Amino acid sequence: MRRVPRNWLWVGLLAAIVLMLPLVVTSRFAIDIFIRIALFAFIGVAWNLMGGYAKQLSLGHAAYFGLGAYTSTILEIRYGISPWLGMIAGGVVAMLASLPIGALCFRLRGPYFAIATIATAQVLMLLFLKFRDFAWGAEGTTIPNFGDAPLMMQFDEKSSYYFLALGLLALGVAITYRIEHSWMGYYLVAIGEDEDAAQAIGVNAPRVKRDIYMISAFLTALAGTFYVQYIYFIDPATAFSFNISVEAALVSIVGGIGTLWGPVVGTVLLETASALLQSWLGSSAGGVQLTIYSLILIAVILWRPSGLLGLFEDIYRRMVHARPARPKEALLDG
Amino acid sequence: MAEALVVRNLSKRFGGLRAVQDLGFSVGEGETLALIGPNGAGKTTSFNLVTGFHRADSGSVVAFGRELVGLPPYEVCALGVARTFQVARPFGTMTVLANVMTGAFLRDKTVSVARTRAQEAIAFVGLSAKEHIPARSLTTIDQRRLEMARALATVPRILLLDEVMAGLNPAEIDQAVALVGKLSARGLTIIIVEHVMRAIMAVARHIVVLDHGQKIAEGSPSEVVANPEVIRAYLGTGYVHAAQPVAAPC
Repeated sequence: MRRVPRNWLWVGLLAAIVLMLPLVVTSRFAIDIFIRIALFAFIGVAWNLMGGYAKQLSLGHAAYFGLGAYTSTILEIRYGISPWLGMIAGGVVAMLASLPIGALCFRLRGPYFAIATIATAQVLMLLFLKFRDFAWGAEGTTIPNFGDAPLMMQFDEKSSYYFLALGLLALGVAITYRIEHSWMGYYLVAIGEDEDAAQAIGVNAPRVKRDIYMISAFLTALAGTFYVQYIYFIDPATAFSFNISVEAALVSIVGGIGTLWGPVVGTVLLETASALLQSWLGSSAGGVQLTIYSLILIAVILWRPSGLLGLFEDIYRRMVHARPARPKEALLDG
Repeated sequence: MAEALVVRNLSKRFGGLRAVQDLGFSVGEGETLALIGPNGAGKTTSFNLVTGFHRADSGSVVAFGRELVGLPPYEVCALGVARTFQVARPFGTMTVLANVMTGAFLRDKTVSVARTRAQEAIAFVGLSAKEHIPARSLTTIDQRRLEMARALATVPRILLLDEVMAGLNPAEIDQAVALVGKLSARGLTIIIVEHVMRAIMAVARHIVVLDHGQKIAEGSPSEVVANPEVIRAYLGTGYVHAAQPVAAPC
């Protein structure tokens, strides 16, 4: 691709701004929003690998978020193992769990697949509600506070959490970039476009889908560990929340499904909008912020099904070059 | 001559419908075989059986000594048996080049190698000028070209072409015939399903005629068009007297 150097310039500039943010903005409320943005962008990126590129619309990624959260928490509280290791362990557990879940759900296509994945997350939530002795049942548990203990993934400074979430996001974007520019990216898009036609030219679709599901589950589990470490609390309703699954899909769809930066753009917009609306309207007119949030979603899905990233590119090109955009997907051009 | 593909006693039922019944034929290496027959005769089903999209109820398909029945489509393709679809199925949002690269990755996972191979295949079908165009905005004949390039990129030894000339105008049919001839000249074994008799006469030396899932005739083009069974299948019993070597049943 000829446009890489300029793109990287933008990425560098953006990274610099994003890294300086905590120096400029010190309000805890603002940093909390930044952390949420980075975290959900990361979850969106993880979801987008499978849901975006291969169009396997999962609505059950909370299953892996929860498994990651519970694995690291159980290891920490029961065995005193640092969440840093627990995070990796959670990723591995999620990866292994994705194998049987995938084997079952991938028999279905389209909306049936989505429904089956919802069920897997719900079943896991019910299971953890029953694990009273081992995983604290419905009450959940708080995570012991060690004060400023970086080795236990606990920090005094909120900005440390922010940098950690940014690190996760960078990891997710880097992995996506590598996949997008390798044979696997082509295979994923081909499967998303037409699975039969892909198989006819030698794409082992079941294996490719299994592999990308494992990667996606692994990354989502990392987010789960981070989240419970950040809020110091875990229970099944939080860890396996359907909202997580929906958010993962929504930020990608709004930002631009199957694109490198789509989930990031989508999260920045949705999270900022939702936080601002909540702080302006939350107290005076409860529910209004949800209405506006939903209107944004409806507008995007109706008028910009390819996501906002494509819209921005169109506008940019029209202003700068006065010529229509090449379709975003044409980037996958080798 | 060595046999490239041998089909024996192949049968497939969909509920009460015998889609393909006890079908047998073989193609020698480098030959071009045409599979013809009225609509619903089982041509496309036969392709699906050979390439693993349907699983045969019974019978066998052997390509270069390897049994194909029971293999999934991607393994059939890996063994060197590639196909195109009756209705072209490009990956619409990908460019022509990306489409063909996806096929090329079967033999080499390196992006630069796949790109070179893909560009060769695209040049072969005459689509180089449109390499960077999204596949969905191609014309019908260019989509067929793309299908062929994508199949070629998987380095097949046997190529199954499912009605590549349907919907083309006469000039385009000539181009497509020339292309199939070029493929054959490259040493590829070709099995072609086609309705356009002019094209079949031009490319195939051997024809198998299907009707209601069964083989009703087989032979050289002139033998087949003179066969009363073939005329009955296409035109009805009333026309059997019209059998002449030049009659074109379409």
